[in-house]
Amino acid sequence: MHIKYKLILPLVFLLSGIMLYPFIFSLWLSLQDYRLTRINDVQFVGFENFGFIATDQSFLNAMGNTISFVASAVIIELILGLSLALLIQKLLIFRGFVRSILLAPMFITPIAVGLMFRFLLNSEIGIIPFYLLRIGVSLDWFGPELALFSIVLIDVWQWTPFMLLMFLAGLEALPKTPFEAARVDGAGRWLTFSSITLPMLRPVIVVALIIRALDAFKVFEYVFAITRGGPGNSTETIMYYIYQTGFRFFRMGEAAAASILLIIFILVFVILIVNLSRPKVIK
Amino acid sequence: MIVSFENRLSRFLGTTAIFIAIILVLFPFLWIFLESIKPPSLGGRPDIWRFEPSWENWREIVFNSNVPLNILNSFFIALITVVISLICGAPAAYAFSRFRGFQGARYSILAAEMMPPAILILPLFLLLYKLELIDSRVGVITAHLTFVVPVVTWFLIGFFDEVPKDLEDQAMIDGYTRFQAFYKVILPAVRPGLAAAGIFGFVLSWNDLFYSLLLTGAESRTLPVAIAGFWTFRGIELGKMAVAILIAVIPVLILSYSIQKHLIRGIGGSGVKY
Repeated sequence: MHIKYKLILPLVFLLSGIMLYPFIFSLWLSLQDYRLTRINDVQFVGFENFGFIATDQSFLNAMGNTISFVASAVIIELILGLSLALLIQKLLIFRGFVRSILLAPMFITPIAVGLMFRFLLNSEIGIIPFYLLRIGVSLDWFGPELALFSIVLIDVWQWTPFMLLMFLAGLEALPKTPFEAARVDGAGRWLTFSSITLPMLRPVIVVALIIRALDAFKVFEYVFAITRGGPGNSTETIMYYIYQTGFRFFRMGEAAAASILLIIFILVFVILIVNLSRPKVIK
Repeated sequence: MIVSFENRLSRFLGTTAIFIAIILVLFPFLWIFLESIKPPSLGGRPDIWRFEPSWENWREIVFNSNVPLNILNSFFIALITVVISLICGAPAAYAFSRFRGFQGARYSILAAEMMPPAILILPLFLLLYKLELIDSRVGVITAHLTFVVPVVTWFLIGFFDEVPKDLEDQAMIDGYTRFQAFYKVILPAVRPGLAAAGIFGFVLSWNDLFYSLLLTGAESRTLPVAIAGFWTFRGIELGKMAVAILIAVIPVLILSYSIQKHLIRGIGGSGVKY
């Protein structure tokens, strides 16, 4: 056997055992009526689970919540991250120091972030509502109207740093000549940004967008830490729905079907983004 | 050089914006720290800034709770996960970087990295249940490998790509076999990469809640799961929760600070060339 196959053998074995096999198991699971409460009475039901999930009001609601969560969080993070990267790049002193502080949130465990903000924003013991009330603003951050938005804000706090990291590296790697040429030609700040920086950053933006969006689809910790899907089911995300179905209601078959629908959705999303973001002009 | 008024204004606004961002990032940490050293009787009072610092919460957590066990569990699980990931990931990453015909394999590593945990948790839970490995460290390590192995492998491909091919060619001319060249020449050359990938994988495992929540019990509970348990008692446990959060967060901040420079190359892998 060629050495290149020997080198990848351990990885192939490991991933077949812990990922491929469970994945196939999951496909099988999605076709069964598999309940944790009667584990010895598993029945093949074909695509019944998919039919149930696709018409389940709370699945559709969870999907809707997740999509609005992902879209708003990722767009805000993109804009904030890009602006901060441009500002930091202009800093003359303390650049490394500022960068280190601003990147910190992305490294800490999301459950800690969720609980920190549950504490900070709590309407009885939270410091933010306390001082907002002093200036006459009364907001119930985790009430029915604002809860999903608050979860978005928490995500923005933790993950804008990721966008920042990507864009700082992207900006650093841009060639200097086009910018010098633009300055010589007397192009203003906005023109330079929109016709040089932005187009040249496009590949970085696309990669950052995809990585962050795929990660945001998995949002679970904030919901688990703060609202448990409520009030009502206004913050129930798809991961939380699968967790509930599988481990609260013990319906593994339906949970598996939901997770497969999620994968299909994510695949379609990625293909769409990659195609839409191709430069329109063919070289 | 004369700096125009407009220029100075925009610089001032930019600095202000950065300053605000720094405060927004630091404030939650500061407030959590203050909460952790508040006397328990003053816990959860947003109006109190000045008080006699008390180490009561810290003492309780360190000497009188399960948190030290949780820390040990988290540490042990993350360490073993990373070691296995490096052992399996490094040779494969090297092969992906050097040999033809692995384009598809690269993409499957990426696909594995993107796999939502929701689809793996159900079968993993059932398998571990049948093997009686629920509430065992082995079970959690198995689950954590599913996301640490692909990330570490992907991370390392980028580092191997940057090692010049001449290095192992020279080694092989000197009589090393391909494997010896990899093991004795290339691996030492990417030591910073191995360290960065290892630390990143460690942080990912240390931070995980989802798998640990469903696969651990009293014995094998990890720190994030333990933290999640403090809120149920509300005000009473707030100070202790603050301590546990700080304990979970501080080592990770120190570790990740050391790998900041390598992160971009790692996340982008070799797929993204800036």
